[in-house]
This record gives sequence, C-alpha cells and structure tokens, in this order.
Amino acid sequence: MATTELPLPALPEAPHEEPGGIVDWLTTVDHKKIGLLYIFTSFAIFLAGGILSLLIRTELAQPGLQTMGENTYNQVFTMHGTLMIFLFAAQVSTGLANYLVPLQIGAADVAFPRANAMSYWLYLFGSLIVLSSFFVAGGPAAVAWTAYPPLSTEYFQGTGMDLWIIGLAVVGIAGILGAVNLVTTIFRMRMPGMTMFRTPLFTWGVLVNQLLILFAFPPLTVAFVLLFMERNFGARFFDAAAGGNQVLYQHVFWFFGHPEVYIIILPIFGVISEVIPVFSRKPLFGYRAMVFAFFGIAALSFGVWAHHMFTTGVVYLPYFSIMSLLIAVPTGIKIFNWIGTMWRGSITFSTAMLMALGFILVFVNGGITGGMIASPPIDFAVNDTYFIVSHFHYIMVGGLLFGMFAAFYFWFPKITGKLLSERIGRWQFWIFLVGFNLTFFPQYLVGLDGMPRRIADYQLERWSSANLASSVGAFLTGLSVLVFLWNFVVSVRRGQPAGDDPWEGNSLEWVTTSPPPHHNFHHLPEVRSERPAFDRRHGPAFAGAGAATDPERDVDRG
Amino acid sequence: MQPRRRVPAVRWFAVTALALAAAGCAPNSVTEQGEAARNLYLLFLYIAAVVYVVVAALVIWSVVRYRRRDDELPKQTHGNNKLELTWTIIPTVIVLVLFVFTLQAQDKILDNSGQADVNVTVTAFQWSWRFTYEGAGAEVLGTPESIPEMVVPVGQRIRVKLVSADVVHSFYVPQTLFKRQAIPGVTNEFDLTFDKTGLFHGQCTQFCGLQHTDMVFRVRVVSQNEYRSWLAAAARRGSAGQPGT
Repeated sequence: MATTELPLPALPEAPHEEPGGIVDWLTTVDHKKIGLLYIFTSFAIFLAGGILSLLIRTELAQPGLQTMGENTYNQVFTMHGTLMIFLFAAQVSTGLANYLVPLQIGAADVAFPRANAMSYWLYLFGSLIVLSSFFVAGGPAAVAWTAYPPLSTEYFQGTGMDLWIIGLAVVGIAGILGAVNLVTTIFRMRMPGMTMFRTPLFTWGVLVNQLLILFAFPPLTVAFVLLFMERNFGARFFDAAAGGNQVLYQHVFWFFGHPEVYIIILPIFGVISEVIPVFSRKPLFGYRAMVFAFFGIAALSFGVWAHHMFTTGVVYLPYFSIMSLLIAVPTGIKIFNWIGTMWRGSITFSTAMLMALGFILVFVNGGITGGMIASPPIDFAVNDTYFIVSHFHYIMVGGLLFGMFAAFYFWFPKITGKLLSERIGRWQFWIFLVGFNLTFFPQYLVGLDGMPRRIADYQLERWSSANLASSVGAFLTGLSVLVFLWNFVVSVRRGQPAGDDPWEGNSLEWVTTSPPPHHNFHHLPEVRSERPAFDRRHGPAFAGAGAATDPERDVDRG
Repeated sequence: MQPRRRVPAVRWFAVTALALAAAGCAPNSVTEQGEAARNLYLLFLYIAAVVYVVVAALVIWSVVRYRRRDDELPKQTHGNNKLELTWTIIPTVIVLVLFVFTLQAQDKILDNSGQADVNVTVTAFQWSWRFTYEGAGAEVLGTPESIPEMVVPVGQRIRVKLVSADVVHSFYVPQTLFKRQAIPGVTNEFDLTFDKTGLFHGQCTQFCGLQHTDMVFRVRVVSQNEYRSWLAAAARRGSAGQPGT
C-alpha cells in the first residue's frame, strides 16, 4: 500500500480562481471560509456576552443596587448565559472544526458544502433573532438560560421570550445539520491511508462532539417546541393544574443540557491533544486510550442529566450520582495521558502551549468540584449557589477559553500565514490566568457560605469582599481579551511570516501552504502513522519510528 | 536549579492553604442532617486536594524538568498499557469509595421515617414564603419587604412539607446545608433537626422572576419552652399576616 504521492480525489488541475469581496463571503461553500464565518460570528457573540458579564460583576461589586434595577439585572444574566452557552461555546468549535477537519484528514472540502453553508446562515439568523429581543417592548427574556416553565410560559409575558425560543430552535436545527455534515465528512472523506486510528485527536474530538449534537439537540428542539406551544397555543405539557408536569421540562432540558457540556469541551480536549505533543516533540501518549476515553465520556454524558435535578426530590439519586462520578475516570485518563506526553519530552513554552497548560490546571479544578457536586448530599448544600457558578465557569471559561486561545495561537499562522505575537501572547496568558482565578476562586468560597446565584443584590455584608475580588478579576479577564484583540490586529497587519509549518506540526494541515489553497492540498504525503507531517519532516531515518508509533499497529506497547 | 526544584513544594503549600480556606468557609451545620453533609464534604475536599496537588505537581514537574534544551528529538514513546490500567483503576476505586460514603450520608439526610415533632407546611410564592403550623392554627406570611421568620424548637424533628403556589422556587437555609425545590404540583417532604438555637438566613435559590433577589426568610431556632409560648401567641393572632414575632 506504499506509494509516495497519492492522487488526489477530484481536484481541479489549474489553480482555482477565487473571487474576492463580500459576494464571495455571502455565497461561499468553501469549508475554510465558512469556518472563519463561524469563528468570527461566535467570537463577536462572545464579546457581547462578555460585556454582559462585566455588567453583572459591576452590579455585584458591592452590596445594594447601584447600576441597574432587578428586571434589567435578570435580563442581563439570562442573555449572558444564552449568548455564551447556545450561541458561542458550542459554535466556536464548530468553526474550528469546519476549518480544520478537512485539512487534518486530507480532504478537499466537507461532504456537504452547501448544507454546511446553510447551517452557518441558519446559525447567524437564529442568533440575530435572539439578539433582536433586545429591541422589542419589554426587552429580552428574564427567565435564566434554562427557561423553566411556568416562569417562562405563564409568568413571563413579552415577545422577547418568543424570539428567544424561535431563535434558539433555529440555531439548534443549524447544529443538527452541521453535525450530519461533519460526521459524514469524518467517516467518508478521509484520504487513502488515513484510517480511523491515524486520524488526529482534534478530528476525533469533533467526531464525538458532533455525534453528541446529533443525539442531544433534537430533545432540545422538542423542549423549545413544547415551550412555544404552551406559551402561545394553550398547551399544558408542564402545567400541574391541568395534568401536566413541570419536572418533565427539567428532564427534557437537561437531557440536552448535560451532554451540551461535553459538546463544548470535547473539541477542546482535541485541541489540547494536538498542541501538547507538538510542543513536547513527542507523539501523543496513549492515542487509543484517548480515543476510548472520548467515547467513555460521551456514553456516560447521556446518563447523568438528572444530577442537575437532585434538589427536585423526584429523581433516583444513586443512579445519577454514580454515573456522574464515573465521568471522572475517562476524564482522568485524558489528563494523565497529557502528562505522559510531556514526560521526558522537549517542551517549548509557546503561547499555545502555555494556554494548554493553563487549561489543564483550571480544568482539573473544575472537574474535581464537579465530582463533589455529583454527590447528592453535597449538591443539596451548594446547588444553585455561587459554588455551582464557579464550578461550571472553571469548566466553561477556564476549560473552553484556555483551549480556544490555545487553538487560536496554534492555528492562526495556518489560517493567515502570519504568526500571532508571542510577546503579547504571554502577557495575555498571565493576565488571563490571574484574572480568571481571581474572578472565580472567591465564588467557590462565597457559594459554600450560601450565596445564591442569579440574585441582583446580597443581604449579607460578609459576602462583599469575595464579590469585590471577583469583580476586579472579571475586569482583568476582560483586559486579557482586549490584549488578544490587540494582538490579532497587530499580527494580521504586520505579523511575522509563519511559513507552512512554524511549530513542526504532526498532522496534515502543516503539510500544505499557509493559508491553504482553495482545494487545500497541491500534494499529499503518504499517511503511515498518526503523524504524517512528522514522518515527512524526519524522512527515511524516522520512517521506521513513524511506523512503529502507528497506533494502527498494536505493537511495541510498554 | 535549586529554586526551580522548590516549585512543587510552593504549589503544595498554596493549594493546602486554599483547601483549608475552603474548609473554613463551609458553614458549620446547625442540624443533625447537615452534620452528615458537612462530614461528607470534608472527605471529598481532602481527597480532591490530594488529587489536585498530585496532578499539578506532575504538570509543573514535567514542564520544568523537560523543557527544551537542545534540538535533539526525545525518545518517541507512545504509550504504556500498564500505566493506562493504573490510572483507570485508581480513580475508579476512589470514585466507588466516595459513592459508598455518599449513599450513607444521603440515607441519613433524607431519612424522614421517624415521628415528626413539628409539622410545618412551607408555601413558596412570588416573592416570599408562608409557614403554616399544622394542627396549631398558626401561620406566618411574608412579603418581599417584610421578611418572614420560621420559628422552630431546638432538638426536635421538624417535618417540612414544601409546596409552590406559582413557579419553581427552592427552599434553602445555608447553615442546614440543605435545599429543596418547591415545584408546582409536587409536595416535597424532608426533616430538619436543629441542634443549635439562633437566627439563620434563608433564601430562595431557584430563579423565580422579577424579585427573586428579595425572596428572603429567616429561621429562628428557640428553646422548646419559648417555642410553645410563641406558638400559642401566634395561634391567637391567627393568620393575620404577621411576619415573624
């Protein structure tokens, strides 16, 4: 099966003529451009959600109501959660996936380029529908991002709530469409020689993440449809007085809601699994174990939803408790394999690597407190307090953002042909690390002390110092994002040229030019291990080593 | 080299200090049931601190010890099945042990098989609380502006029957280390046995609309004699909407 240059499937001979300008961006079906559209759109939403979070921290910096009334505060945190979870967190990785997956598997595009474009535009318009609720009478929804009925049905009048439901339902459909496309792409479009067990870990992360979307988003869409019917057409699914059941909504919502966490974090696990080997100059430790851990997490993630409902008093606690606790096992496997990758490596502290290390340190913290609240007696104490807020921000802000910035620093040179400034990047990293921990660590303490979430003001004076620290930290975190934007602007304009392979990468995207041509590759190397770019760079001397480290062969273990 | 070697130790102290700070901030429980939760929390906390220190030390050790010094390619190891097995089995065992302790604590906390000494029906509504003393004809009704007090005797088993009049709320007294949702159409029952007298802060923790922030109450735990005279006085007043005493 060894030939040196493989013929590419169905590629144009001549360089593709690329029309520029706005019309091209509006009509493109190129996975790279759609990926960038996803990334820019979701990042803009991230900035909006971030500003809302700073409003929250401004209000809570000291006791009393200073900057806004209760209603505005309720709208602000509802929209903060909505923008961040539905419109940013799950979407930015879809953007990265769109750009990178075809490159990593040696394909010219995704399986369904037009469906891909449709999925992006549905996402954009769904988001705009949600955002339009800021401009209607009564303003946006003020029901928390979970939108529990009957608060979100009978008790919250106003068009904002309906726009929220419709917009998010459209975004959900976009997600399902995108998942069909990416799953098909990964299963069907891999180049010859790229077996599943030679596929880069980021692509594996995306595969499992998109499979989760495929199973978790339909129930979400159902929940939204039921909610909409209950609000507008007098359906009584969740109304106990008419034989309905409020808890039913909680079940359906969290059946989506918990897998959503893994939808957000699995591609980031993939990013970390790409970054650490490259900057340790070693192959990923335990490739297969990492893949199995992805599936372990994914499978368990559908059996844990009711740990969000321990305090309802109407769920079977032991089952959901043990399933939630067990997630620590595959997650631990990932952490230890990353450490195993760095062990006896040759480590360079690029900004991408620093972000990956920051990711491990904060993610483990969030994971451990996740284990605590998987235990119902502890959850009874801290559920719906700032302890929970801190826990999931350690996962979402810590995990997702450190991972996302690692990905930005790592792949920016591939996308633009220029390097992001490492000097500014280090500044960003340290400001972010300090700001982040200053924001969220005090929230653990104040949560243990009983401060509930989603309150506009707090009655107990002793909560004020932790809240002030948290607010200062939030603005530091905001500053670190500004530093990143500054770095982006500076580097796009006059960043150092990156060349094709600035980091000595492992996967196929480092073989092509930066930025890649329209059809991605002029030439593809032979794929004989999970590190085709490494094999090519180190030539025949390491060809043997490359073959030996091929996870496809179950030899030379231990 | 010397200062660099000390980094894990510094980290150890920092994390231990933070862990102790966290333990200090866990409220001392004022109920028998809460004591079980607090002990379980501390067990989790200590194990969590050890796990975190081990992981952080391994990360910091490897990035300090194995930073790039030359261009030589390190040995291309790619896995070790024995290690994989080790770090699968050890966490599984830890998790199972924690699960057993979880079950024990949970049984203690949720046990409401005994005979209750005081029965209180707690009705959550937008945006305050009503405490109805079953069989005593006493009732306390709050508003967002006048904070209601639930007066209960120390050392006796209080059975709370929790219902909601409108949307989902959650009954939470931080120092009992316990909360429960009040869900329309669902009646939730649980027992609290206070072992300390005093005045304790309570609050709704499930977001319930405009004035969720103001849905505050207090629990006043008094001696059994004081409770009897308070109850008699409250019964005379009837349900006149008097907030507290």
